[in-house]
Amino acid sequence: MNKESGKKNKWTRRAFMITGGVVGGGLVVGVGGLAFLNKKIKKYSGLGFDGDMLNAWVSILPDNTIQLAVPRAEMGQGVYTSIPMLIAEELEVDMEQVQVVAPQPESPYSNTFLLTSAPKDVYKGLTLMEKVYSAIPIVGTGGSTSIPDGYDSMRMAGATARTMLIQSAAKHWGIDSSLCSASRGYVINRATEERMSYGQLASAAALERIDRLPQLKSKESFRLIGTPARRLDIPAKVTGNAKFGLDVRPEGMLYAVIRHPSMVGGNITGIKNKDEVESMSGVKKVVQIDEGVAVIADNTWRAKNAALALDLDEENNGHGDLSSESISQLLDDILSAPPIAIPEDEGKVDDVFSSAEDVLEATYEVPYLAHATLEPVNCTVLYKNESLEIWVGHQASSVVQSKASERTGIKKSNIVVHTQYLGGGFGRRSEPDMVIRASAIAMAMEGIPIQLIYTREEDMKNDMYRPAVKSRFRATIKENGEITAWDNKIALQSVSNSSMKRIMPSMATKPEDDVATTEGAIHLPYLMKNRRVSFGQAELPIQVGFWRSVGNSQNGFFTECFMDECAYHAGMDPFEFRKSKLDNHPRFKNVLETVADMGNWTSSSSPDEYKGIALHKSFGSIVGQVAQISRIGENQFSIDKYFCAIDCGRIVNPDTIAAQMEGGIIFGLSAALYGEITLDNGRIQQDNFPQYEMVRMGVSPRTEVHIMEVDEYPGGVGEPGTPPAAPALVNALFAATGKRVRSLPLTKHGYSFV
Amino acid sequence: MTLNINGKDHEIKVEPGMPLLWALRDELNLTGTKYGCGVSSCGACTVMLDGQPVKSCTTPVALCEGKRITTIEGIGSPANLSAVQEAWVMHQVPQCGYCQSGMIIAAESLLDEKPEPTDEDIDTAITNICRCGTYQRIREAIHTASRLRKEASSLLGSL
Repeated sequence: MNKESGKKNKWTRRAFMITGGVVGGGLVVGVGGLAFLNKKIKKYSGLGFDGDMLNAWVSILPDNTIQLAVPRAEMGQGVYTSIPMLIAEELEVDMEQVQVVAPQPESPYSNTFLLTSAPKDVYKGLTLMEKVYSAIPIVGTGGSTSIPDGYDSMRMAGATARTMLIQSAAKHWGIDSSLCSASRGYVINRATEERMSYGQLASAAALERIDRLPQLKSKESFRLIGTPARRLDIPAKVTGNAKFGLDVRPEGMLYAVIRHPSMVGGNITGIKNKDEVESMSGVKKVVQIDEGVAVIADNTWRAKNAALALDLDEENNGHGDLSSESISQLLDDILSAPPIAIPEDEGKVDDVFSSAEDVLEATYEVPYLAHATLEPVNCTVLYKNESLEIWVGHQASSVVQSKASERTGIKKSNIVVHTQYLGGGFGRRSEPDMVIRASAIAMAMEGIPIQLIYTREEDMKNDMYRPAVKSRFRATIKENGEITAWDNKIALQSVSNSSMKRIMPSMATKPEDDVATTEGAIHLPYLMKNRRVSFGQAELPIQVGFWRSVGNSQNGFFTECFMDECAYHAGMDPFEFRKSKLDNHPRFKNVLETVADMGNWTSSSSPDEYKGIALHKSFGSIVGQVAQISRIGENQFSIDKYFCAIDCGRIVNPDTIAAQMEGGIIFGLSAALYGEITLDNGRIQQDNFPQYEMVRMGVSPRTEVHIMEVDEYPGGVGEPGTPPAAPALVNALFAATGKRVRSLPLTKHGYSFV
Repeated sequence: MTLNINGKDHEIKVEPGMPLLWALRDELNLTGTKYGCGVSSCGACTVMLDGQPVKSCTTPVALCEGKRITTIEGIGSPANLSAVQEAWVMHQVPQCGYCQSGMIIAAESLLDEKPEPTDEDIDTAITNICRCGTYQRIREAIHTASRLRKEASSLLGSL
């Protein structure tokens, strides 16, 4: 950090300031992508930045270090590189000059795409809803939205800052701006070839006004976007220097380990041996909060031992009978009852079925899944002088701030969030539980930073799980392969309803309005004239939450396996069957054909080799996969290879896209092979690895990824690799065995994988 | 008790049964070694004890006295990466990165034992969990690191 300019990074700077140029008419501009916002929501503190701020996104130090704001969480998806690429492209700086700063959860950093699913129009200005979501603000990372949200607005943030730098240099030289150009952190006087660094210009440039928003570069003139950039976070991640939430060590910090109620929906009513536990080695205090009991000690191990020694009184709140079997029965009952919503209903489904002789029917099922981020859930909080400092790896810094405020009564303006690297997110770190508990515990230890950790056991037993789901299909298929009717009914506990009640109750989705329930099940690209997709709600006391690709994680498996069933029923090749129904959707068809080519769909190199195919769109990107397996023994297979083609529109960092496909497939495979959280007598039965097993090196397939060149607005890439992984494998297993597996995980059906 | 970590002696006062992991992380502020499961299953806590990979989450500190402990902090620095770390950067291996300290230690140990490991050797030796699923790149990076080590030693030999 540059000491000279470090003076600006003071607490006093929390008095909100507005920096940047001014457009004619008095509108403040220069807050990057939100340049066109009204005055009220153009506020940011600049906390964490050390240089002169040209707008909310760009801070320049005298040594020409360029600090760029990345308000999205780095959880492995490469956003600390991809957003800087977008800004740096227009700012005309090199990635080597860039330092990432995680800003405070302030209005300019709101992720409006997360709720509107529409990109900001950087020239027209924000829609009413975008203004609302900016004012709240919603600074979050999820739904594979970081690039769709920022693709235009981040480039504009760079372009406006560059314009201000050029104007400032032009004034210095007494020439017109049009005689200057910008390159690699310098403004160049084209007449004299004199150069001034951005660092030299920054303080004057920060005061510049600009008349109109600059034109963004055309795709043809990109020098960074679309080329593989080395990730800025990787050097620290190979040397052990990267700071995750669990790695922060503010001075005087103590460690807290929490025990939650052992039963779903249960309560802890008392502590039998508080004094005894408080006298254990290293223990400072036992703190009971609404959600559990925490032991605070001078290191994690002592806190953990003492927490395990707690003898707690508990009550089960009437859910002691809850089991995986009773939930499965409930889901069956829901499939037999009238639906609560029918989000897709085209043509005359009932008429076709009533006159059909041959109806293909199948019911699929998946279990609860834990996120099992490798870094267990944690949060560190210091309560001091009626203010909070919070260190956490979280997907939504605005949720961190608002939930800590709600719980403690401390004003949001007195809460600073230090966002750390996330040791995996996958939706788990969009939940506020760790922040609420850590804040409550820290309030009992004024002046001392408290690092709350869930042990792996507490983490796994107190997750917000991907729900257990059943999905029933009926279809009629003509001899020529035409699907004449398709009816799909889904039963589950609504994820958005459960999760939003915890995250933002005022915006909690009603189960019947939850689009996540049918995402990946409706608007299938295949030609079917008569189609209906409906669902019912399971009322359960279990916390369910967003899990990488959410509804798509199960609907991709259900729909693409049932499509396979339809193909075989019609006596057609599964690839040809799908292809024949994609004439109206060339992007899907291209992906399907590409991946079939990559996987040599029509040939196999040995009689023991089998293939399965799946195609699925989620989060704006279309992914096709071919799984290639070989038989080792009776029910034993090797997953040799995955071929993967993705159309995500315009490409930002191709190496990151490939990495997300590779990892997304493994994530889907862990669920397909092993993933299952079960309940018995109201208790979660898995609490650690390897009970809840993961794909490891020996089972991991080789992966080949192809990224399609498609000049369309970009889709997300963090999640879309996951949904096709399970159906591609299960379809390959069918090709090998002739047996259709309709529930996961596969190991439960007697299959093993090496 | 005295622990020799990355070539330096450290004095700590802890119970002999405390796992090495917590001595490193909470007593000595060496946070590169990670906690993932506490039961020797995930490998995020892997360190070397006299050159052999061990799960520090279940290794009592008492067993480490008088032995050489190597953690990720002793493998290389950003300015002076080991061949394995260099290969990790070349292949852009880490995603979230949380498992990578343990993975790198496991890879260093494998290459010390078998300088030119086969895919099967890698399957057997690398049993740690990467929740992000970076296995393919880890495999490629281990092969690259094997080559880099060989080139470095032949270069040294020719000097």
